[in-house]
Amino acid sequence: VIRQGSGNHRFAAPLVALVCCGLAGQASGADPSAWADPVPAAPKVLLVRGATIWTSASAGILENSDLLVRDGKIAAIGPALEAPTGAVLIDARGKHVTPGIIDAHSHTAITGNVNESTNIVTAEVRIADVLDAEDINLYRELAGGLTAANVLHGSANAIGGQNAVIKLRWGVPADQLVFKEAPAGIKFALGENPKQSNFQGQQGQGQRPGPRRYPQTRMGIEQAIRERFLAAQDYRRAWEEQRKNPKSSRVPPKRDLQLEALVEILDGKRLVHAHSYRADEILMLLRLADEFGFRVATFQHVLEGYKVADEIAAHGSGASSFSDWWAYKYEVIDGIPYNGTILWRRGVVTTFNSDSDELARRLNLEAAKAVRYGGVPEAEALKFVTINSAKQLGIDSRVGSLEAGKDADFVVWSGHPLSTLSVCEQTWIDGRKYFDRAADLANRAALDEERRQLIEKVRQAKKKKDDDKSKAKPEDRDKEPHPPSSTVSTSGVEGAR
Amino acid sequence: MNRYRVALIATGLLLAASLSAESFAIVGATLHPIGGPDIPNGVLIVDGERIRQLGATLALDPAMKRIDATGGHVYPGFIQPHSTLGLIEIGAVRGTVDTTETGTVNANLRAETAFNADSQLLLPAMAGGVLTAHVAATGGVYNGGSALMKLRGWNWQDMTLRSGVGFFLTYPRITKPDSPFSRQSDEDFSKEKDAALRALKETWLAADAYRKARQAAAQGAGPKVEIDSVLEAFTPALSGSVAVFLRAESRPQIAAALDWAKEAKISRLVLVSGPDAAHFAARLARENVAVILDGVLALPTRAWDSYDSVYAAAAQLHAAGVRLAIGDGDDPSNARNLPFHAAMAAAFGLPPEAALRAITLSVAEILGVDSELGSLAPAKRATFFVATGDPLDIRTKIERVWVDGEEIDLKADRQWQLYERYDHRPKPGSYAAHGH
Repeated sequence: VIRQGSGNHRFAAPLVALVCCGLAGQASGADPSAWADPVPAAPKVLLVRGATIWTSASAGILENSDLLVRDGKIAAIGPALEAPTGAVLIDARGKHVTPGIIDAHSHTAITGNVNESTNIVTAEVRIADVLDAEDINLYRELAGGLTAANVLHGSANAIGGQNAVIKLRWGVPADQLVFKEAPAGIKFALGENPKQSNFQGQQGQGQRPGPRRYPQTRMGIEQAIRERFLAAQDYRRAWEEQRKNPKSSRVPPKRDLQLEALVEILDGKRLVHAHSYRADEILMLLRLADEFGFRVATFQHVLEGYKVADEIAAHGSGASSFSDWWAYKYEVIDGIPYNGTILWRRGVVTTFNSDSDELARRLNLEAAKAVRYGGVPEAEALKFVTINSAKQLGIDSRVGSLEAGKDADFVVWSGHPLSTLSVCEQTWIDGRKYFDRAADLANRAALDEERRQLIEKVRQAKKKKDDDKSKAKPEDRDKEPHPPSSTVSTSGVEGAR
Repeated sequence: MNRYRVALIATGLLLAASLSAESFAIVGATLHPIGGPDIPNGVLIVDGERIRQLGATLALDPAMKRIDATGGHVYPGFIQPHSTLGLIEIGAVRGTVDTTETGTVNANLRAETAFNADSQLLLPAMAGGVLTAHVAATGGVYNGGSALMKLRGWNWQDMTLRSGVGFFLTYPRITKPDSPFSRQSDEDFSKEKDAALRALKETWLAADAYRKARQAAAQGAGPKVEIDSVLEAFTPALSGSVAVFLRAESRPQIAAALDWAKEAKISRLVLVSGPDAAHFAARLARENVAVILDGVLALPTRAWDSYDSVYAAAAQLHAAGVRLAIGDGDDPSNARNLPFHAAMAAAFGLPPEAALRAITLSVAEILGVDSELGSLAPAKRATFFVATGDPLDIRTKIERVWVDGEEIDLKADRQWQLYERYDHRPKPGSYAAHGH
């Protein structure tokens, strides 16, 4: 079974399982490890040579330079570094190397729905519990140079679930995807989504009928958040007293997982990532946060951020925006592609995110839009998807730039990373090569052949079953209460090449 | 009195004609005609709405207005090959959505009649070099007639470059969509599919019978047949005077659609499709079916498709000799991103010239309007833009835009105005909280 590189094992795996069940032992050659790609080897020492290196750090863009990696960490960057004995060499002459791309807003690799949409506050639920390490989108994103992502809960609630920052270590179990050193965080959401303007409670075409939920206005959102933070303050006080007087005869406070998460926000231990569009709601949350004494780590989407850029900068929030999306609902009617440029000019740590498994594969080109719209310098524009994302997520001491001591998370591009004609050739995380376009291309024929063989096996199994059935006596057939349907899903067979 | 009024109107018309018939020359830029070699430091002369001439050295009347575009690059305007621009303003606000009629057979709809001439989405598209759009409705199996619209004008009538460009139909889905959000049972899906297929096939036959009966009646060879506006709309498609645009995405859908089109004797066929069309590249080339690859910036269809299957589909179709246009997957608010769909196809194997052609001249050819649009050539519409470089590169800026010889004021774009306004916002004072 071919596993490495192609990222196509998810096709093979279910079929292997199907064959195993269907043939009861006949498929003894099937390799159960096909469920996971092996983790790529980590060379002890690695030297990338002769590249244009975009450091996303004070060193800027270094022409004709080398990148030395030792034990998964960057050891040195500079011209004509000496190759240590036994170093794995990568000839990157004519190519460009950038830090691994970091998506500040993603819903990738989530099992099932991204929204626990029942209540207006669901601070107790955790994305880390539902990560799907076999989501093929992880591989597709790696193939676009993505190395880390802020996997967020949806925006159905004023205060939503807890996010998970991951590294795209394709092939590892779900718990090892998690970027363990990343600070904890949580999703907030303002405006049309939490007030359910376009979803429940409306009886229009294409809209699901359902009960209306409080709140239905931006005023109600403000009060819903305020009420919970007041409750969190009470909860914190109650536990402080309990800890001060553990022997008191009082009944100790009941543990509340939702309020615990909010107390962590009040204590500055949990980053708030607030989905928002309009200037009014952005200002509202800034003032509410000021009042309760916490900082909003990032405003997400923040399409009208350009209208209150100084206020966002003064509060110390980051802004993580779409480069150019707008007009898909009323609250984004004033979205402009210059948003990132204005925020950046006014001193806000600014990123462009994907919010999409598709867009996450080409965030380097989203960064190029900061050049197109408003003329952000190229090196600064690339930071919109590298070091700025790392700063917003509190992981900038580890990733986001190419500097000695940082994790060896980097991308080798065929050309200028902001050019539409460039292609991601290799993606490295922790000094391991998780994506290699050449290997991917080389494996395709073998994978196609493997797929063909597997489909043929399933077809044979089905044929044998049908033949056996037709040989059986008619009265036996009548006894069968539920005639088995086809063992092969239609979508599986028709899609095979 | 009457005579006086006529004279006034005549003078007005003359004035209007002389204003719009203004001649000017663009000088100093590299001209990229498409379908011909580039002309460095060329001259492009415009008379009124049309291009008069272009070349490396042209004698210019000293009185002629010159527009110095030194260092710039002139390209014909991009053409959206498949769009709902003008039919939709804000997807989430139902009152602004006119894309999708109810019912199965909507062949009589005319897209141009719902085109919002003052849509806020048009100027941002033009600022991105997208100056023309082929607009079609999406509802039912028979969707209606499409129209080619320029994006500048006083009303839809004024902006319709050609009505009834294509006869649109959506081939029914054959396999149940594998969506976690689908709550439809297999049985319900199957029933719906059968009904749609029946409607597709029976209506086509009925329209053919209707056409023949009407012809016979007209020649006195048959009884009178009442006019039927829906079946009447099939006539140009049945006779082959208008191309049939067939929307089909998945492999089984495309295969069935191509078979049906053959059975229905459709002579001019355009397949509006996704990456699965590449699986039929040889057949499409052989049967002379043009393809609108509707969106390159999209995820692969199936988990086991290669990661670049959508990016590479255009190159595969092109290599097989298929006539190819590239669309944007119908993203009207970001119609300006059309060139970047073509660019991704170029990054994954489509020659860059072919990528540029797939959003200009090839679109015009497939729509049958290449005598009017799609390249810089004498007598074509003066619909073009000046850019700082290669427009397939996102970093390139589009500086000036003309539609039918009229320069578009890009600073009138609300997005630009908001930028200008807030970029110059003074620093705010401190916030005086009013306590709770």
